[in-house]
Amino acid sequence: MSEEKTDELIHLTIDDIPVAVPPGTLVWAAARQAGIEIPIYCYHPKMPPLGACRMCFVEIEKLPKPPQTACTTPVSEGMIVHTKTEKVIKARKGTLEFLLINHPLDCPICDKGGECDLQDFTLRHGPGGTRFDLYKRHYSKPIPVSDRVMLDRERCILCQRCTRFSSEISMDDGLVMISRGYKMEVGTAPDHAFDSIFSGNTVEMCPVGALTATAYRFKSRPWELKRIPSVCNNCSVGCNARVDVRVDKIMRLMSRTNDAIDDGWLCDRGRWGFEFVNSSQRLRTPLIRRDGKLEPATWDQAFYLIASRIRSIADTHGAQAIGGIGSTRTTNEEAYLFQKLLREVIGTPHIDHHHGYFPVPRDLLTGKPWMMTNSIADIEKASHIVLIAADPYERQPILNLRIKKAMKSGAHIYIINESETELDRFASSKISIPQNGAGSAAKMLLKHVLNDEIAKAHQYEEMRAMIQSDDEAIRAAEEYFGVEATTQLQHLAETLVGSTGAIILYDEMATLAPGCADLAADLQALAVLTDNITRAGSGVGPLFEDANSLGARDMGLLPDALPGYAQTAEKGLAYHKMLSSPDIKALFVMGANPLRHVEQLPSKLEFLIVQDIQLTETAELADVVLPAVTFAEKDGSMTNVDHHVQAIRHALRPLPGAKPDWEILVEIAKYLGQKWTYTRPQDILSEIAASNPFYSGLTWERLGAQGVRTQEQMELNDTDVAMRKGAAHA
Amino acid sequence: MPELIVTKDIDAPGLDTLDGYRQHGGYEALSRALKEYQPDELVELVKKSGLRGRGGAGFPTGTKWSFLAKNDKTRYLCCNADESEPGTFKDRMIMEKSPHLLVEGVILASYACHVSTAFIYVRGELALAGRQVERAIEEAYAAGYIGKNILGSGFSLDVILHRGAGAYICGEESALMESLEGRRGYPRLKPPFPAAVGLYGGPTVINNCETLATLPAIIRNGAEWYASFGTEKSTGTRIFCLSGHVKKPGNYELPLGTPIRTLIYDEQYGGGVLDDRQLKAIIPGGSSTFILGADKVDTPLDFESIAAAGSMLGSGGVVVMHEDTCIVDAVLRMTEFYRDESCGKCTPCREGTYWLTEILHRIEHGDGKESDIDLLMDICDNISGKSFCPLGDAATSSITSSIKLFREEYVYHVREGRCMVGRGVTQTDR
Repeated sequence: MSEEKTDELIHLTIDDIPVAVPPGTLVWAAARQAGIEIPIYCYHPKMPPLGACRMCFVEIEKLPKPPQTACTTPVSEGMIVHTKTEKVIKARKGTLEFLLINHPLDCPICDKGGECDLQDFTLRHGPGGTRFDLYKRHYSKPIPVSDRVMLDRERCILCQRCTRFSSEISMDDGLVMISRGYKMEVGTAPDHAFDSIFSGNTVEMCPVGALTATAYRFKSRPWELKRIPSVCNNCSVGCNARVDVRVDKIMRLMSRTNDAIDDGWLCDRGRWGFEFVNSSQRLRTPLIRRDGKLEPATWDQAFYLIASRIRSIADTHGAQAIGGIGSTRTTNEEAYLFQKLLREVIGTPHIDHHHGYFPVPRDLLTGKPWMMTNSIADIEKASHIVLIAADPYERQPILNLRIKKAMKSGAHIYIINESETELDRFASSKISIPQNGAGSAAKMLLKHVLNDEIAKAHQYEEMRAMIQSDDEAIRAAEEYFGVEATTQLQHLAETLVGSTGAIILYDEMATLAPGCADLAADLQALAVLTDNITRAGSGVGPLFEDANSLGARDMGLLPDALPGYAQTAEKGLAYHKMLSSPDIKALFVMGANPLRHVEQLPSKLEFLIVQDIQLTETAELADVVLPAVTFAEKDGSMTNVDHHVQAIRHALRPLPGAKPDWEILVEIAKYLGQKWTYTRPQDILSEIAASNPFYSGLTWERLGAQGVRTQEQMELNDTDVAMRKGAAHA
Repeated sequence: MPELIVTKDIDAPGLDTLDGYRQHGGYEALSRALKEYQPDELVELVKKSGLRGRGGAGFPTGTKWSFLAKNDKTRYLCCNADESEPGTFKDRMIMEKSPHLLVEGVILASYACHVSTAFIYVRGELALAGRQVERAIEEAYAAGYIGKNILGSGFSLDVILHRGAGAYICGEESALMESLEGRRGYPRLKPPFPAAVGLYGGPTVINNCETLATLPAIIRNGAEWYASFGTEKSTGTRIFCLSGHVKKPGNYELPLGTPIRTLIYDEQYGGGVLDDRQLKAIIPGGSSTFILGADKVDTPLDFESIAAAGSMLGSGGVVVMHEDTCIVDAVLRMTEFYRDESCGKCTPCREGTYWLTEILHRIEHGDGKESDIDLLMDICDNISGKSFCPLGDAATSSITSSIKLFREEYVYHVREGRCMVGRGVTQTDR
């Protein structure tokens, strides 16, 4: 709640405990604040009240017909609530008795047993026995509602959390209620698959063992699990997750609500995509190529070989003959050490990683590095959301839910894409463009905006000149796009000019498509021109691919920028150039698989080091392979798409034989004669915090459970940039 | 015979056509209302008439209209003609025999409430009623009673007929709106009440079919005239649907305050209990209301008197049971209905009605226990006032009232394994 609301708090007493809460708070939430448990099944704090399960009874003085439901009643000034009266206790017992009459007694083999709300509330609020002496209802069980989710209708208490998630949150009606009354059951609508990328949330929300995950069924008892707060490693959103581990194996990921990032949800990719951690294909020992074959070696042998070959190549060809390709999935600390090893220890400028195309480290117009100028939560405040060549459902799934939430509070969605996307059905306008047309579409938008009267009042001469110089190409593109798309784009440009706050998002990788080299810069310009950078609910930026894509950039895994986007003395070779240059004789690849993006490695390559968790296509060609560990086996920080720096924490012991990347890097530095004194990732973070203006003052402790959204901590000394920013505000 | 208001001319040939209806003064009220009354004056008129809702709750109609939220959202009127209460068949008759009366009422209420789109939600099973109302709407459109600029008044209205798909719950006003909007028939959380946030989020007035069909007469004859019928607080007449063990079951319009005895025994109406047997019990207002014993036969049929006697006037469905009725069997039958018609949204109604039915079933069939009787009462207590909507409460009315009135029959069933009453068990028959 915002500060100005603090003096508007509503005062009430619950079981004689005074509570002050913001207006609109439900009695249930107020009680929770007072430390009083009111049992709930149908209610879920992220969804509107339903009032169906009739579990959360309380008695409120002066209200008619006691008891009332706490999850549907907002607080009011002077309200007197009782949660333990005779009426309340009887009503709750009654509801639990009803829920239990047909509930099976298969708790011993139920996945939920031990973390089941029906068990727990029965213990605390329920009757000790049952008066139901008839036969329980039986269904065949379980039945699959999707490949990933099984439904046990006998256990279902019909609280409707899952079906409401489907209708209210994921808005795909994957699960629905079928039939009515005592024959009612959860199921899928005819000819409608429950294939939502968000399906796992229904399993997690299920208060009983009715919905279970095929990935977790019968794997563990909840009390055997070690629960470690961490961050999902699957995409750039960085959803907070709890890693549940049993004997050094990940059993499941659960959501760990962070309102600023995931809003309490986790997608199926993140939730169940941890097989690579438990995989039997993991590397458990360093490998060295002998007689053309990769064979197991000791760490000492591997480090020794690396150090001697690096030295000899540097001696023969110069350090410039060595290149490094870093990772978008290792921690900030590891990315930082990687570039430090290459730049400072080995002495080469050739460092890069696989990423989208951004012309220079910082946008020339705003002076900002390439990252979303808005936060994820800001999306909810937008009046218009433009997705250009972006498909969050497939690439950053949880952002799709945030956009839907924004839409429910009135935001209009515009989609510019060559393919169909999941959000199309909700779009105010879906602008279908030809393949690789995003770059031209951005230019058309810019052109229309520059022609607008409001924009004309500003002096954007350079931009105008630039667009005018492209005029012929834009006209040709308009011809190619056709009347419909062109008109839609013009309307969108007009809409953006008049919007109260628009957020313009594009996929990082879309910039790599032919004709899209200016996409990032043009969209940034579009946002500046339409005053959509600084206002509430406005913003622009790339949607990154991987968990630490943005961190990799921040840490200087770039040929043209040092950590913190500081200027390099000497520009190194970029990713594709490095991978095709005959001058590159040695390549160090950490946590990346370039053969996914290029046909072959540099033709004159003499020595290849690959550090990874599995034997990738690239690793198969390596001279030395170093076994690393996954996000679940180490500590460190990662930076998500809206620049939340978050801590990942080791949930398992490192796979025997493998080491965290940062430890390997420290060892290699040592073999190369450099004595680095880092004993833990936190030491590296301190060094980053001291030098990188985006991480200024950060400590491991400050990252806490929910991370910190950091921004650049320095005065922009480029007066030109400051002036232009001023112009954009005017 | 007292003056009829809604069912006046109901059996006149051709009343179901526009011409026939006009021959009996049809649409006069509409043209007069549009000429002589501002919408607010109509609301006042209806308030003054004392008309109360004929659906079941008996809320004053004019007051309901005046609660409509004043905002810029589109207002709607829904006519609740999803007549599904067991023992109730009055709206069906109105729609089948005098559909224009309903349509005129809908137009009048829409005018009074500044509504430009009205829905008539007809119970799907009432096929003829649906067809009749549909045709009446078409005729009214053609005659300019519905549509743009009705009778040159500047008032425009669209009326849309919607057929229910067969759910008792959709007669509950908020479930009716959910159903109209294309969703599962689930009752909505209140507040907000429909008058504030109703159909498609707009302020919505929902009136019963009979209520709306009463409006033309009130406008033609005035509020005082209407209020001269009935009692002080229950003005006017009501159509009572008399069924069960009577000689002449049917719909009878009577001034409110008429004793039950008149309805059952008067030759003009019920004509007495079937086979001249002894009266045993009366359900005064549809199966959702508490059963009254024969001793209450002199209770006047008005909201206050029936409430004082321990029940509700409800939907006007008066069900008569004579001495041979096995009360357990009758209650089982009603409870099965509530079990089957529970929407399933809330736990007590969904699970409770199932459990109640199971227990009643075993008592009825001689497998019950004596403790079952108190268990029934306690289950009812755990449903009543705990369910999401009044359907849960309704499901318990017949059980609790019958156990209070006829507990010995339940005990007999448990102990003897058969019915205490009825021809089926008398010595002569067995």
